[in-house]
Amino acid sequence: MTRARIERFAAMGTRVELHAFDGATPAALADARRAVEAVDDALTIHRPSPLVALNEALLAGREAAVTDAILLDALDAAAAAHVATFGLFDVAADRRTGGNWTMVRFDRAGGTVAASRPLALDFGGLGKGLALDRAGAVLRDAGVTSALLSAGESSILAFGPHPLGGGWPFAIPHPIDADATLLEIELRDQSLSISATVGVGTDAPERAALLRPGEPAAIAPPACAVAIAESGAAAEALSTALVVADPARAARLLRDRRDTRFRFDLAHQESRVA
Amino acid sequence: MTKDHFDLSRRSFLDRVLAATAGAGVAAAAPWASAAAQGAAAAPAAGPRVRLGVIGTGDRGRALIRNIQKSRNCTVAAICDTYAGNLDKARAIAGASVPAFADHRAMLDARGLDAIVIATPLNLHAAHAKAGLDAGLHVWCEKAMARTIKDCGAMVTDARKAGKILQIGHQRMFHPTYLNALKRAKAGEIGTITQVRASWHRNNSWRRKVPADATDRQINWRLYREASAGLMTELATHQLQVGNWFLDAVPTKVIGSGSICFWKDGREVYDHVALVYEYSGGRKVIYTSLLNNARYGCEEQIQGSTGTIEPELGRIYQEVPPKQLALQRMQQDIRKGSKRTVPIGGATWFPELPVTTPGESLGWGEYDETMLQFEGFGEAVRAGRPLPGLLAQAYHASVASLLGEAAMDKGEAMTWPTDLVAVREG
Ligand SMILES: NC(=O)c1ccc[n+]([C@@H]2O[C@H](COP(=O)([O-])OP(=O)(O)OC[C@H]3O[C@@H](n4cnc5c(N)ncnc54)[C@H](O)[C@@H]3O)[C@@H](O)[C@H]2O)c1
Repeated sequence: MTRARIERFAAMGTRVELHAFDGATPAALADARRAVEAVDDALTIHRPSPLVALNEALLAGREAAVTDAILLDALDAAAAAHVATFGLFDVAADRRTGGNWTMVRFDRAGGTVAASRPLALDFGGLGKGLALDRAGAVLRDAGVTSALLSAGESSILAFGPHPLGGGWPFAIPHPIDADATLLEIELRDQSLSISATVGVGTDAPERAALLRPGEPAAIAPPACAVAIAESGAAAEALSTALVVADPARAARLLRDRRDTRFRFDLAHQESRVA
Repeated sequence: MTKDHFDLSRRSFLDRVLAATAGAGVAAAAPWASAAAQGAAAAPAAGPRVRLGVIGTGDRGRALIRNIQKSRNCTVAAICDTYAGNLDKARAIAGASVPAFADHRAMLDARGLDAIVIATPLNLHAAHAKAGLDAGLHVWCEKAMARTIKDCGAMVTDARKAGKILQIGHQRMFHPTYLNALKRAKAGEIGTITQVRASWHRNNSWRRKVPADATDRQINWRLYREASAGLMTELATHQLQVGNWFLDAVPTKVIGSGSICFWKDGREVYDHVALVYEYSGGRKVIYTSLLNNARYGCEEQIQGSTGTIEPELGRIYQEVPPKQLALQRMQQDIRKGSKRTVPIGGATWFPELPVTTPGESLGWGEYDETMLQFEGFGEAVRAGRPLPGLLAQAYHASVASLLGEAAMDKGEAMTWPTDLVAVREG
């Protein structure tokens, strides 16, 4: 049995846990933690950060030069996620500004961002996915061959085999009915993200992740979505998109992806939510 | 305790204070404590002592007498109380050779003192301090300073005009645990401090038994508005000082609500107070005191972005997120060689219960901080120089407690007075 090493800390507005098994050294875990904290530092909107500086410029109607490498990667990921989710995952969607990603001009080569109207970006869960991706890369580079990383209970990244062999088995409980399970799956070199509109902690109305772009109010129908993808960033964008999607776009996202994308309509359970 | 043992523990107490106040940040934030400990450590065991006349020999006055007796450089040279029962009790402690007076003017007229110590009801502090200063004596006075903000200022002004030292009794300012807490806060160990949540909760009437030869107002003066602002001046002053101290500022304003909510026994002061003191930058001290629930006791929770200090408990806590139970179970399973499905709770759903990690000790000490107050005072009197920074802290703590009373009485936000007396020292 290889010895497990665990790093637990608060970052990205949640609790992060890095569980490394084969070949992990304390230094490797410390580096992985710093990778997560660096993403937090770059993408936080709660204290001065490269993103806050960018948002100040965009809200003032100015074009901004972005030099921070993590923020540039995050903008890339946001652009890719917007395309991959038919516009559903949108870091610019915000009821207060009426903004959306189609109003944003991101010139990766030139390192500039501008918007056609004042708006602000919030990477939300995408940041957690990016942070896990970067921490995973740090551990892999350090020779770790088996690890499980989590940012809160909604974002998981597993790489390498489970310490006892095979994949990493997870069960996703029903968010309302504690005795029921929505889904059981095994991860292997994959990321998992869960998004929901019900349950404890989902009732913050300003949460950008739960806005349906182009619609004025936060989406309400009780639903839970699960996405599995190659990267944490992709999984986050997909689960968010699935939970905010209208039926037509939800169907498009789910088509031929029965093993990796799931959406659970919990409307009939609504009476039990309150 | 034998003499040798006392000298040893005195020395280790002073060492702890000196160690806690060694860093530059702390020396600047608690200059009185390092000055007092350095003075006390250097004070000769022999030589003439500073002669103190104690006015008010009730509960606190007698505790002070015991501490003065432990000090190296002060002595109780006279005692005074208008209530014979308490004067007799003090005489039993101070010894029959110490002159005892029923009137403070007689004590002052008898001369032979360097300073007076005041432990009388709050509304008498200002007049007793003035009498002492007028008699050419230095003054050591228990917190809170005075019954009104105006009288607090007058005490500062009177002492300055008289060229005498005025020191107020705030023993937490000399407590090794508090000084250690300050040191670690200054070192950034709990991040940016944005809030202090302080409480003094008791579950008793706060009413003392009235002996046959005394009146209720005489014994229970703290329950009547003429003599006291109740919980605010008797308890909150200590903690508002701690709040100002750790936030390194005075409040900009205060809002509050007070009521006689439980002990409807004819008292005039609130038995429930809840206040919010605002500081620059949106920082706050949130204060509650009540007399019918003691679970949370007396504490100042000093809350920073990366940790918390609870000085009464003497502990410092880091912000550590709780373990994810499902992953903890996974680790246990793996250690046992079994592989089970891990239930992953969903979108960051976890109950945000209070964190109960044990934290780390800030170090305890024997409680000699009240003695150190007097050793510091003794050295200050000898040098003719007050302990730096102390009077301003005390003045602002008393003003804060009285301003809180006004906010509750009026039901209005009270802004920090702009006409306070400047405390000049040295
Ligand atoms: N620093 C602390 O932790 C602490 C603790 C307790 C009390 N105190 C302070 O000490 C002071 C006294 O409190 P206490 O609990 O000892 O009250 P107390 O009622 O027990 O004692 C007050 C004494 O003053 C006497 N007195 C009243 N008028 C007098 C006068 N004109 N001349 C001389 N003596 C007079 C009373 O007879 C009584 O003996 C208050 O200011 C209180 O806030 C401080």
